[in-house]
Amino acid sequence: MTNYLQLSNITKTYGHFTALDDVSLSVDKGEFVTFLGPSGSGKTTTLMIIAGFEKASGGTVEIGGQSISQLAPHERNIGIVFQNYALFPHKTAVENVYFPLQMRGVSRVQGLRQAEDMLSLVGLKGFGHRHPKELSGGQQQRVALARALVFEPSLLLLDEPLGALDKNLREQMQIEIKRIQRSLGVTTIFVTHDQSEAMSMSDRIVVFEKGAIEQAAPPLDIYHRPKTSFVAAFIGESNLIPATITSAAAKTAESPTLGAFDYASTDVLTDGQKVTLLIRPEHIKLSRNPIEDRKNVSMVVETIVNYGDNALVIGRAGDIPMRVRVLGADVVIIREGEECYINWTPDAVFVITR
Amino acid sequence: MNTFMRWAGFVVVLFIAAPLVIVVPMSFSNASSLQFPPPGYWLGYYRAYFTSVDWLIPTWNSILIATATTILTMALVVPATFALVRHKFRGKGFADLMMLMPMAVPHIVMAVGYYSYFGDLGLVHSHLGVILAHTCLSVPIAFLVLSANLKGFDRNLERAAQSLGASPAKTFLHVTLPILRPGLVISSLFAFIQSFDETVVAIFISGRDAETLPRKMFDSIRQEADPVIAVISTLLFFVVLIGIAAPYFASALRSRAPKPSRPAGAH
Amino acid sequence: MGMSLSKLTEKTNIWPWLLLAPLGIYMLIFFVVPLAEVAIMSFTEPKVSLANYQKVLTGALYQRVFLNTFMTAAFVTLCCLLVGYPLAYLMAHSKPRTAMLILLLVTMSFWTSFLVRTYSWMVLLGNNGPLIAFLQMMGVDKPPQLLFTRFSSTLAMVHILAPYMIMNIYTVMKKIDPALIRSAESLGARGWSLFRHVYLPLTAPGIANGSVLVFVICLGFYVTPVLLGSPREQMIAGLIGHQIEEFLAFGLGSAMAIILLVVTLIILTIYHRRFGLDKLWG
Repeated sequence: MTNYLQLSNITKTYGHFTALDDVSLSVDKGEFVTFLGPSGSGKTTTLMIIAGFEKASGGTVEIGGQSISQLAPHERNIGIVFQNYALFPHKTAVENVYFPLQMRGVSRVQGLRQAEDMLSLVGLKGFGHRHPKELSGGQQQRVALARALVFEPSLLLLDEPLGALDKNLREQMQIEIKRIQRSLGVTTIFVTHDQSEAMSMSDRIVVFEKGAIEQAAPPLDIYHRPKTSFVAAFIGESNLIPATITSAAAKTAESPTLGAFDYASTDVLTDGQKVTLLIRPEHIKLSRNPIEDRKNVSMVVETIVNYGDNALVIGRAGDIPMRVRVLGADVVIIREGEECYINWTPDAVFVITR
Repeated sequence: MNTFMRWAGFVVVLFIAAPLVIVVPMSFSNASSLQFPPPGYWLGYYRAYFTSVDWLIPTWNSILIATATTILTMALVVPATFALVRHKFRGKGFADLMMLMPMAVPHIVMAVGYYSYFGDLGLVHSHLGVILAHTCLSVPIAFLVLSANLKGFDRNLERAAQSLGASPAKTFLHVTLPILRPGLVISSLFAFIQSFDETVVAIFISGRDAETLPRKMFDSIRQEADPVIAVISTLLFFVVLIGIAAPYFASALRSRAPKPSRPAGAH
Repeated sequence: MGMSLSKLTEKTNIWPWLLLAPLGIYMLIFFVVPLAEVAIMSFTEPKVSLANYQKVLTGALYQRVFLNTFMTAAFVTLCCLLVGYPLAYLMAHSKPRTAMLILLLVTMSFWTSFLVRTYSWMVLLGNNGPLIAFLQMMGVDKPPQLLFTRFSSTLAMVHILAPYMIMNIYTVMKKIDPALIRSAESLGARGWSLFRHVYLPLTAPGIANGSVLVFVICLGFYVTPVLLGSPREQMIAGLIGHQIEEFLAFGLGSAMAIILLVVTLIILTIYHRRFGLDKLWG
């Protein structure tokens, strides 16, 4: 079944300010979709419109073919995990998880048993009697997840739920959330501004910018075939070089500073078209002398940032700042302030038309 | 500077403490006038207080009036505080300021106003009159306490409740109200004390029929300095002491209870 | 996470007005109207004229009372500051246990009724009280009259209002970053110069808060001056009460009340402009 969740032409304005501009998106049943974007890009607003806490100025939200735009939040049957978890401080963990069942008229005995089961599923067996403040951040996170899932919601929304956790715990929870989501098969929308989180967890990433969707695609597509230079710059590290297509047939382009380029993109391009060329830092090699069959450019090394197993070499080719990712062993050949060659194959060059 | 400040501070401690504790021995004194140290000790004035209608009726009046004032104040202030904290609207700044105004007006000014106004309405010398006046005077403190609490309230808790299927009414009942309860309790307590301690307006409008304890004490101190006042003062002293110390002890007891062990990492 | 969620609430709404209405109407009937009645009476009792204000503003008796009230309030404020500052300092820089005990004492004092504290001073300063006894023991043959003087009412007012000052200053002192003091010391500030140039300026907001509060309360103080003060040196609130209760002179009493109110509001308005009135009571 496709098109489980359907957003059609959603707009949201506050006075003269347009927070969302014609956002449309369809999500499959069981899909894990991440909304990624900087602050103020509209991802949280979209989430709040789906949840019903915000009213869209235009457009519709449908789940399973039924419009939910007119429903109040409590009638939508959508589970949400908030960034600060929003656990009820006056209730124990198991009472928190029981709450949605209580609201649906499930008896206390049966509801509490169901809640305990759900706590076990998220790995909190035996913690039910504790109040939220007696639980660690990761445990609170799990309770919030259990509470949002126990009533079998038609949709699960996660609003930057990992933001408050430290790095190790965050990675652990990423895996955990994925596991639980898969085992229950619940359609999930995950909001974050952390690209590595988005990359590792999602079936599909939706990149938001200035109230509109820039691109919606699987993680690797987003990384290797970004549609816009914003996406290219926002996801991962990138070298972006303005250029003009010299011959679409021969697949060549010309950069004012770096000269002629070969590229391997299969997109339809026209001669004279203004484009941006993307080269990921890990696709560039560093050498003392030019290497044959590759595009070679001379670069002055400005800074070397060592990470142990690899290093980031930052330099300048003409007036264009360049970043090169090299393996730790390779960096010994070069020092800051020296001049060297950077080079790549046509495969490494991706053409962005917007 | 440090040493000087500390010594001066200790002297001030004595200055603050002496008048608070002196009423305790005075209440057991058998002297018929103000005399310290007391010539002898007995419980006669305690008996006098607990058997004298002249003192018990004002005490009862004060409790009654303060209770009614608290209920009325909260009934008015709770919705208003929600409006002022949760909503933005034209004139909100003015409304915020108006909530605090009764605190800014000297009580003697209000007393003159109520004396004349309630005279016209036939409300002087009545419980109702004092309750209505005290409610006005209790609004600011109740509002200050409650709005501070409400501002600290995480609205995501209500959003969470709604997403979990609670209607707005159920959200209020199951989530908002229980979480705000400490704030509501303290706010009510402040309103109660404000009314229970209020003297000036009560002197002018409570009359003999609705005479409050502070009014009775004021008259008594002014006229004869009845030693029973020391008894009442001592009783009030211990009420305040218990009221203030109780939370300390409660938290001390609670912190002694076994803390939940924090497992290493999330398992 | 994008825009803060609270900002995203709907704007035009009848709800706030509905919630605010009961209190608004109540305050109109039982706060604004009686206050307005005082203002009206000041111009109309016993007949429509400015005579009340003329009398109050030019009569020697009234001028003396106004001046006396102002001077007393200023003096009480100063004393509260001198008394409160060291105590706040002691609280802010003691071990937690000592600090908590002092805090408990100040809170006790704060919550103990004005009347109880006034009564205590009657005992302490009375002719058969400990202070007179002490003076006699020290060889003072004819100890001075302490009770029912300007001394006794001022002393009691300082005691009663000091907690307001202490709490305000203490709150500010508590927030001072110790690193700031240490860095001032490392820069060569010592002793009084450290106090004058670093510590005192840092506590100034608390001093301002406490002083305004004490001064304003003292201006309108009724109970303590009436019970403990000299009958010949009344303060304004006492005189207002006197006019109303003894002479039923509503016009004169109201005119004085309005002047007291206006002065109070001017002080608080200046304060409100600078700091915001809601900060005043902590």
